[in-house]
Amino acid sequence: MNKQFLKAGMLGLLVAGWLSQAALAQSDPSGKRRVTSTYAITNATVFKAPGDPGSKATILIKDGVILGVGTALTLPKEAKVIAGDSLYVYPGFIDGAGTMGITKPKDVERPKDFVSSNPPDEVAGITPWRMATDSYSAASTQVDDWRKAGFTMSQVVPDGGMLPGKTAIVLLGEPKTNNFLKVNTAVAANFRSSRGMYPATLAGVMSKFRDVYQNTALVIEHERIFAANSGVKRPQASPTHTAFMPVVQKQLPVLFTAGSELEIRRALALQKELGFKLVLTGLENYASVIDVIKSSGTPVLIKLQVPDDKSIKSQKADGVTEATKAQYARVKESYDQALKLAAQLEKKGILFGFSTADAKAADVQKTLKAMISNGLSEKAALAALTTNPAAILGISGMAGTLEKGKLANLVVTTDTLFNEDTQIKHVIADGYVFDYEVKKKAVKAEAASPKPEAAPNTVTVEGLWEYTSETPAGSSGGEITLKRENGVLGGSITYDDPSGSGKASAPIKNASLTGKTLSFEFDVAAGGMSLTVTISGEINGKNMEGALSVPQMGSFPVKATLSSPSQAN
Amino acid sequence: MKKHIYILAAFFGLGVGMSHAQVQKGSVLIKNATVLTVTKGNLESSDVLVQNGVITQIGKNLSAPAGVSAIDATGKYLMPGIIDAHSHVGLDVVNEASAPITSEVRMKDVVNPQDLGIYRALAGGVTVSHAMHGSANVVGGQNATLKHRWGSEDPADIIMQEAPRTIKFALGENPTRVHGRGNGIQPRSRMGVEAVIRNGFNEAIQYKKAWEKYTLAKAQKGNTVTPPAYSERLQTLADILDGKIIIHCHSYRADEIYMLINVIKDFKIKKVVFQHTNEGFKVAPEIAEYTMGASVFADWWAYKMEVYYSTAYNAAILQKNGAITSINSDSAELIRHLYHEAGKTQRYGGLTDEEALAMITLNPAKQLGIEDKVGSIEVGKQADLVIFEGHPLSSYAVPQMTFVDGVKYFDRKADKDDQRLSVAATEMVEPIFLRANEEAHRCMQDVDKYFEAFQGAFAKEKH
Repeated sequence: MNKQFLKAGMLGLLVAGWLSQAALAQSDPSGKRRVTSTYAITNATVFKAPGDPGSKATILIKDGVILGVGTALTLPKEAKVIAGDSLYVYPGFIDGAGTMGITKPKDVERPKDFVSSNPPDEVAGITPWRMATDSYSAASTQVDDWRKAGFTMSQVVPDGGMLPGKTAIVLLGEPKTNNFLKVNTAVAANFRSSRGMYPATLAGVMSKFRDVYQNTALVIEHERIFAANSGVKRPQASPTHTAFMPVVQKQLPVLFTAGSELEIRRALALQKELGFKLVLTGLENYASVIDVIKSSGTPVLIKLQVPDDKSIKSQKADGVTEATKAQYARVKESYDQALKLAAQLEKKGILFGFSTADAKAADVQKTLKAMISNGLSEKAALAALTTNPAAILGISGMAGTLEKGKLANLVVTTDTLFNEDTQIKHVIADGYVFDYEVKKKAVKAEAASPKPEAAPNTVTVEGLWEYTSETPAGSSGGEITLKRENGVLGGSITYDDPSGSGKASAPIKNASLTGKTLSFEFDVAAGGMSLTVTISGEINGKNMEGALSVPQMGSFPVKATLSSPSQAN
Repeated sequence: MKKHIYILAAFFGLGVGMSHAQVQKGSVLIKNATVLTVTKGNLESSDVLVQNGVITQIGKNLSAPAGVSAIDATGKYLMPGIIDAHSHVGLDVVNEASAPITSEVRMKDVVNPQDLGIYRALAGGVTVSHAMHGSANVVGGQNATLKHRWGSEDPADIIMQEAPRTIKFALGENPTRVHGRGNGIQPRSRMGVEAVIRNGFNEAIQYKKAWEKYTLAKAQKGNTVTPPAYSERLQTLADILDGKIIIHCHSYRADEIYMLINVIKDFKIKKVVFQHTNEGFKVAPEIAEYTMGASVFADWWAYKMEVYYSTAYNAAILQKNGAITSINSDSAELIRHLYHEAGKTQRYGGLTDEEALAMITLNPAKQLGIEDKVGSIEVGKQADLVIFEGHPLSSYAVPQMTFVDGVKYFDRKADKDDQRLSVAATEMVEPIFLRANEEAHRCMQDVDKYFEAFQGAFAKEKH
């Protein structure tokens, strides 16, 4: 490369950098910088804490701190006023343990002398020294989604193996600022084994956990002897042992992910045997262990999601045998019981909050309403969203309620929180105001308005569809082009290329349209294998809703819109 | 004393640490049965009284104490609960296949009391099973002895807590295939298997010495001896050397059986039971002299090279040579009719009724170190009992009721269609197919999963 040219290029970059900095210093060409950090929500119905019946008050905040809550506040000139007359204000929600904004660190390359029976900790998923802060992105759309659902703080948990790393408490404020409130708040653990190496199973993971714990205790003892005497062999703590020391010294809790009854019992058994501080998270099925949790005194974070009702809805009323009906009844019983679990925790007086990990932000209202209509009190529901997680995370002094001096984390709604039609209008996190569009109540008479596409028995399928799909890997989407040639439906589909960025395309196979139901298949090449993906859905006008199913992975919701229908039909 | 604490706790409204729910104990009087005691002959038209989980009286014309219900077993047979010395039911994990020695792994950690296999075993009269680690490693994990208290929620409640510790060893094709051929590490041959065991025990001796030195020094003021690393793996091997753990060794060929006998003689280990032991008949006198015997299949072989030289007379030959011999299942299917399997020793070897029944009761109890508690119908023993219609060694035998600690967990007349202890809230109900699970033999379970992570095809044999 021409050196002169390179230099000129470098200089250009430097100048550009200087220019942009200078520009920021003088004004804000983006127009995004806020004009004030002082806000007042005036004359709103304020619920300061769970159980508060609510009263009219004004809340003044500045620089991310609540300056006052009351009726006789003097508002400074720079305060931007949000007229709260018709609004309701609650403390911002706190996620006890979540994975929003967290990306999984890349797999570590195996060393040349790798032996699967004795792998390096880092390769085997034992990385307690890693910090959630290193893999967190405040700009993630997941963070946006949870903030929109009312969450203002989260204890984020790193992704990885059995000991993935340390958690951190983040504020869901302006993404460009430093949002870490507290780092290294707990050591995350779960029963995830390593693929193809030790520990390869749950049994190995339990043993390895004991091993890490006991050897950390011995390293601490070694260091003590070394510090107190001369002539002692120097201690050689591994990164794992160093990072695990706060657990053995009971300075940090272990945040153990345990979804099922047996996992909960196993985590409690390890705790009883070794004696560390424990918080359980991700609880899903725990009906039979509520008393066990209670007597252990362990705080828990339950998954903020109730089971889906697909299996209940698919139960048929007619044409099934008595034996099948008996099985239906058991599933129904189990489903009903699952909805009541949160209420049972309240009844037993167990300290519980929520975990957003593996839950859907869009379902929060639905989930909470389901729990409340199954016996959870509104007070307890709000406590599980605010004061309980604050207590479990040890931040009650700064968060969880609306009080002078606490962090400016608020949820502003159009009606009382758990009301059927309530919507969130503003979320204030770390003193930053996020506005959300409030939809008018859905017009029930929609069916009455004539729709040009909805002529009886004709379903438009040909043309260009845009689709999105929710998979565990995140949201993805692309375009579906459908056309009929010689009476045979075919076309192509684009999708996110699994081998990297960008889109890949595949021809559509076995397409069929029966009534309003469209279904077709296409092949995806991934990691040297070919998977046949099936999409099937029901078309209503220009919209299609259905499922995308991948063999051995399951099925995921898919939605599509016909953006440009074919003219020739 | 304990009772007082509970009352006090209840009074003050405190939660009591009930993580170990009390194991249920029952009382019952079984009348007019043909009692097959296994140790003291057969008693015609006799009664057995069970109080609080223990057999308290055996005789004729016993009357039920107040509050104890009686069961009329006229024309039926009563035998001790069947004990399976080699099983994998009730386990969420069978093989931690990732290292040649995984003695730190505990099957007690992965017990699943909701496994339907437990109920099916009860329906076959089995009250105690030895839930073993698999055979992928030379030294596998520590096993759990289970009592089939169906319906328990806490895994601790189905573990026979008073049973001694046992551990799985494995010789021959399985460990050499997984580690030698699969991973390119020792052991690749039968010689390598021996080396892994000997090296393991020698390391354990060093480990024990290092800890003894440290423990001694720690007590001194101004100690400068630093602690050695902790290894439950080596500690467990040291415990074997100290006689605290019974080895249950998966083995087929006579040469490797004799090899292990030589190893244990060198390390002065007494507590060894051979499992499978298809060529045990060739070294029966040695097994009788140096070990706690062999636990074998009645007639199951030829599923891989090392299991071709086999005979259905194996159990009888071992027995006649004085080796403690039991018949096991290693299978969630076979466990349902171990009484048939025991009967085969009469067709092949002409054993007496008592000898044949001992193969599935007292003898496995001896091999698990629990013969003072279960394995025969005697006063003072735990009331694990089965009522049979027909003599249990008859082809027409059908178990009617099964008791563990005097509590009835199976009753053919009250057998619900759906015995599952829990059902997922999201389960899609599909039609039921009555078909035996083809993956019932689980000795190599979890190994395939372990291997497919980094290599494709893997041998199909699983024993």
